[in-house]
Amino acid sequence: MSYSVVGQSVPRVDAREKVSGSALYTGDMMLPHMLIGKVLRSPFAHAKIISIDTSKAKELPGVKVVLTYEDTPKILWNSAGFPPSPGAILVEDQYILTNKARYVGDGIAAVAAVDEATAVQALELIEVEYEVLPALMNIERAMSDGAVLIHEAEKNIYGHTPVVIGDIDAGFADADFVFEDTYYVPKVNQVSLEPCGVSMAAPDKDGRITIWTSTQMPHLVRSITAHALGLKTGQIRIIKPPVGGAFGSRLGVVNEPIAALLAMKVGQPVMLKYTREEAFLATESRHPITMTIKTGVKKDGTFTARQLTSYIDGGAYATHTPSLAGPVAGWFLAMYKSPNIKVDNYSVYTNSTQCGAFRGYGNPQVVFAVESQIDDIAERLGIDPLELRLKNHPCAGEVWLWSGWVIESCGFEECIASGAKAIEWTKKRSKIGNESSHQGSKKRGVGMGYMMHVSGARPMLHETSAAMIKINEDGTANLIYSNSDCGQGAGTSLSQIAAEELGIPFEDVMITKTADTDVAGFDIGSHASRQTYSGGNSVKNAAAKAKQKILEMAAEMMETPVSELVVKGGRVWASNKSSEEPAKSVSIAEISHRAHFGSHGNQIIGVVSEEPPGNPPVYAAQFVEVEVDTETGIVEVLRVVAAHDVGTAINPAIVEGQIEGAIQQGIGYALTEEYCYDQESGKPLNPNLSDYKILTSVDMPQIETILVEAACDTGPFGAKSVGESGLVATAAAIANAVYNAIGIRFKELPMTPERVLAALQNKNK
Amino acid sequence: MKMSISLLINGETYQVNVPHKKTLLDVLREDLALTGTKKGCDSGECGACTVLMDGKPVNSCIVLAVDAVGKQITTIEGIGGITELDPIQEALVAHGAIQCGYCTPGIVMTAKALLDSNPHPTESQVREGITGNLCRCTGYVKIVEAIMDVSRR
Ligand code: FES
Ligand code: FES
Repeated sequence: MSYSVVGQSVPRVDAREKVSGSALYTGDMMLPHMLIGKVLRSPFAHAKIISIDTSKAKELPGVKVVLTYEDTPKILWNSAGFPPSPGAILVEDQYILTNKARYVGDGIAAVAAVDEATAVQALELIEVEYEVLPALMNIERAMSDGAVLIHEAEKNIYGHTPVVIGDIDAGFADADFVFEDTYYVPKVNQVSLEPCGVSMAAPDKDGRITIWTSTQMPHLVRSITAHALGLKTGQIRIIKPPVGGAFGSRLGVVNEPIAALLAMKVGQPVMLKYTREEAFLATESRHPITMTIKTGVKKDGTFTARQLTSYIDGGAYATHTPSLAGPVAGWFLAMYKSPNIKVDNYSVYTNSTQCGAFRGYGNPQVVFAVESQIDDIAERLGIDPLELRLKNHPCAGEVWLWSGWVIESCGFEECIASGAKAIEWTKKRSKIGNESSHQGSKKRGVGMGYMMHVSGARPMLHETSAAMIKINEDGTANLIYSNSDCGQGAGTSLSQIAAEELGIPFEDVMITKTADTDVAGFDIGSHASRQTYSGGNSVKNAAAKAKQKILEMAAEMMETPVSELVVKGGRVWASNKSSEEPAKSVSIAEISHRAHFGSHGNQIIGVVSEEPPGNPPVYAAQFVEVEVDTETGIVEVLRVVAAHDVGTAINPAIVEGQIEGAIQQGIGYALTEEYCYDQESGKPLNPNLSDYKILTSVDMPQIETILVEAACDTGPFGAKSVGESGLVATAAAIANAVYNAIGIRFKELPMTPERVLAALQNKNK
Repeated sequence: MKMSISLLINGETYQVNVPHKKTLLDVLREDLALTGTKKGCDSGECGACTVLMDGKPVNSCIVLAVDAVGKQITTIEGIGGITELDPIQEALVAHGAIQCGYCTPGIVMTAKALLDSNPHPTESQVREGITGNLCRCTGYVKIVEAIMDVSRR
């Protein structure tokens, strides 16, 4: 299919304002009489608050308000950004400010003052008496007999998500081999470059409050904030300016209710901006999970039984955790076909900061474990790992167990074929420690990982989007959309979809770059890699409605039936009856002018609010080559080949950019990133960018992205998704390459030099 | 203790009355509303706050405003013209090297200083040059491509 602007790497709609420094992020804003908010945080991981004395802080000149638990609405709420849906399990267990500290950094009090220095000084004047309780920093301690309760959940377990398909015991009995392994993945932080947690709240005299916030989901943040404050949803207006990266960290409420409560109490605007340390301390990270995987397999590589038992460390508050347990099961059971499957996922409270969404939403954890074990199975059976994957993955026409719907299109075979060729799989994937891979102490290996991911969360969650296309008098168009682009480029892709459908130049479509809940229709936001598929469908359909009206007006003007008209290049053309006649056309500008100012004034507008028709899965095969220095334990990733089936790539440069950026996070997950706590005191050990290591420009390997475009019928111009999937298989691919290089299977991330060295020493004993 | 100082920024002189411990970054953002320079850590770890001092890139979050007196300071607002962009900026736009954009002003400043001192760097010199500018969105791939592209002109 040939398109005019779909498939083109047009520059992003917000690139020029960002590159010139003129884009105004939430934290760049200033309002008259704006106060600065600050939060007093618990120094203890687990403690009762015996008393709080705020009198000295209140007396400090410049301090306008000091709030504690006493001042907050006594409404329990949950911060996770979910629409009420079958898959949303929302345990409400937090207040805006707490009356019991459950992690180091838990919000105890909040102040607003004329400037930051005064606000900081006020915090120091608040006197809190704590009764310190044991800090339960891992699931083992939290679930142990007699452990103190963090909330009122027995053994600190507050969720069990079971799935049973077939008869798991019969499946294992049927197997020629049974593999059972336990894997552990650590807590990692999204580290958006704009620290997570920045909002500015301004109350008005009509009982409404406007909140500018760096968020992924304007509408859901609106309703959760309203609930937490005891307001009507309509009393809150959320405005989302440019966002400095999110990756899941802003998938729900972060600090909006605190900013709003401060602002409402004092009747002035309040800016509440978390520092980098606070973003680590008090906002949600990726869940650490302990996963035991048991797989029964026939000699020929057919699976007879697959079982996952996982303990999800959700930290101090429930937020996303019990809901995330669902997709964790979904990722596992939908990856490989098996007649018998069993999953038991447990959600556990600990005294660490609550965990939430991070790109992939449980999938990177599951894929690391599953894909590590698959390689071990392949080796034991003597089957090529690529073959084993190809044999067992669900393909087009089959039911995908994640959604229960038939898979529309599958580019996995092509991903495998093109990726294997690019990395030179057959040549390089030789035996472990192969002679040719010797370079003194340095050993090379290649490995790969496979993944599937979603294009939205249907049918588990609603995926509503709304779009409005207005055709201006001059034929340009406004696209009114709750644009929750956080840097991924959705606003640009959606503009391309609108331009393509309308048949007008890309430059003539202007999307609302800033989302505003008073303006745009209800939209779920940026999660589950949904923007291009879900948002794209609503944009395309709104454009189609506007186009229909353009055609009807043109038919009147040209005295030609609609069925004989086409839109192209900003003009409506009548199809040529005979080749002698010159082609007849009229510009959309003329049509729109006639609509506005002709015999019956009306603007051509197309509006839809709807859910997308499906949830087509995407596939990827990532291949990596590593070099392990057996003297230092350092694993260097030399090359990554990422072959991704994304459906139609609306904007290939944007799609590549998503994959390239995700791989930086995936390599970090594999090798360098872990957010650690002192296991006794519960204090975070590395809440800063010196000690929490994300990869720099010199650490990054060569990345080659291969786009496989297995278009799907229900996607806008065949698009599926890409946002999250780039990092899902990376850590698994690296672990498999490390195994190929040195013959050591790492079941715990990250593979730091210390761990690699220790494992090498163990092996040589 | 507040001090009255004058700062030379983007060719203009600004008179500001600031606490002696206030960083150049905070003065730029809060006192002068030059908010193109971003704060990602406030401790010299991320490069989002990069500005040029006498042509050299510095993390403005670890420079005191008082120590910037007498220096020529260039911020992102001083790069390019009113509507046209600097070639480095154009290249970043054209290569799709900008995602969330929060690291971008810092990258532009560092790249500017790099190419001013070494107009035709190798790829590894580019990577080395921007190693202090963290980006969490792009994997640096298109950023490096864009800078290399400008260097080849
Ligand atoms: S804000 Fe200055 S280096 Fe991060
Ligand atoms: S573009 Fe987001 S941090 Fe670089």
